[in-house]
Amino acid sequence: MARTTAALELKGRMLSATRIRVLDAAPDAIASHLADLKRQMPQALKGMVAVLESDLPLDLPALLAALREAGIQPVGVADGALTAAAVKAGLAVLPKDTRPRAAEPAPAPAAPAPTTAQEASRRSTRVITEPVRSGQQIYAEDADLVVLSAVSPGAEVIADGCVHVYGPLRGRALAGARGDDKARVFARRFEAELVAIAGVYAVADQIKNAKNGEATQAYLQHGKLVIEPLH
Amino acid sequence: MAKIIVTTSGKGGVGKTTTSASFSTGLAARGKKVAVIDFDVGLRNLDLIMGCERRVVFDFVNVLQGEANLRQALIRDKTYENLSILAASQTRDKDALTLEGVEKVLNDLVAEGFEYIICDSPAGIEKGAHHAMYFADEALIVTNPEVSSVRDSDRVLGLLQAKTRNAEKGIKVKEHLVLTRYNPERVERGEMLSVKDVQDILAIPLLGVIPESPTVLTSSNSGVPVIADAMSAAGQAYTDLVSRFLGEDKPHRFMHVEKKGFFNKLFGG
Repeated sequence: MARTTAALELKGRMLSATRIRVLDAAPDAIASHLADLKRQMPQALKGMVAVLESDLPLDLPALLAALREAGIQPVGVADGALTAAAVKAGLAVLPKDTRPRAAEPAPAPAAPAPTTAQEASRRSTRVITEPVRSGQQIYAEDADLVVLSAVSPGAEVIADGCVHVYGPLRGRALAGARGDDKARVFARRFEAELVAIAGVYAVADQIKNAKNGEATQAYLQHGKLVIEPLH
Repeated sequence: MAKIIVTTSGKGGVGKTTTSASFSTGLAARGKKVAVIDFDVGLRNLDLIMGCERRVVFDFVNVLQGEANLRQALIRDKTYENLSILAASQTRDKDALTLEGVEKVLNDLVAEGFEYIICDSPAGIEKGAHHAMYFADEALIVTNPEVSSVRDSDRVLGLLQAKTRNAEKGIKVKEHLVLTRYNPERVERGEMLSVKDVQDILAIPLLGVIPESPTVLTSSNSGVPVIADAMSAAGQAYTDLVSRFLGEDKPHRFMHVEKKGFFNKLFGG
């Protein structure tokens, strides 16, 4: 008899969090910026889950108080100048944002080492052979996802890397879930409800380029989602 | 080895109980020892469709709670003495169900020598449906040829392969598609999904197509499972379905518009 009353249930969940990067550590500057934001988009700030990032040393408790005052819920900091203070404050310490910044100049060819190390730490591709049914969610953490069967309407396939679907894709497909804007979605029969790359998404009504049922790919180009047939 | 089979769909009103009644009667007619359990605690229907509602003394919940033993609660079918019905309680709710209790009842039924145990699931994906499917070896997925029913069946298929005892042990629950209320004329006019459309989405083997038929309603009202009406298309379709389930090779029928014969044309049959 399987135990039906476990005390804890562990579920993998994606959480969208906003990264807040401190560019000026002066409390006055921060307070006035927050006031501006609050005026412009009060609803967006309310309950916003945030991870703080700073290269400048600053008074973390004061910053937390200011953010909370504005309705923001800081949950952690990116590893760096704030780490020690965050541990003290009981916040989570998360790895630095690994998202490659588009504005940054291309890395010099002399430094390929970190890339290789990063790739080596990637988990192996997750392969799903059974149909992904409505209501199911499959997440390939830190890896690519390959689905050999159908993804039904109401199902979600998510990967930190690329998503490949060899059956009909009728549900939602999200690639680059942690911000990798080089990730892509590939589908042999594209009838998706929604596709997203690194958080940039389009719902079925917005997808005009792709013919229903055709082999299709989706990727980001200059921050815009491109959905086009595969040839 | 006894087989536990759940009749399920997600959506309500698609023909689960009708299918459970005819399927269990059909298996009994082939000489199998069959028990059929109504899991729709609080909204009992199976006994009405099987025509034994006036003979219900004890029900499934009484057995689960030890207020009656299994033999007292099993109602023997009027036509087939090798077919027994375990009615749902009308006065309790689904909180009366526990997995331990259901497992014990199923084990006792197996010990009594029942070869097929049909669990008639309530609609939805909540507690009643979960308990009905949890111990299943096989599943009849009852689906109507329309989008919302297919979507719900798809959801239930996902649960079957994740939230059942077999799934937890890494064993696949065997799936059978039962497409009910099928109307080939309306399919031809594009008002209904075709068998192919439904199979394309659900991708499970087709056990039977049951044509839409007024007989289903009159049978339900009179408490005689539609399979007993050998003259009706729906009755014949269920008989074929049972044969297929038992491994016989029966071609699918009732999937296409019947060409009207000369006399039918003449008399508007």
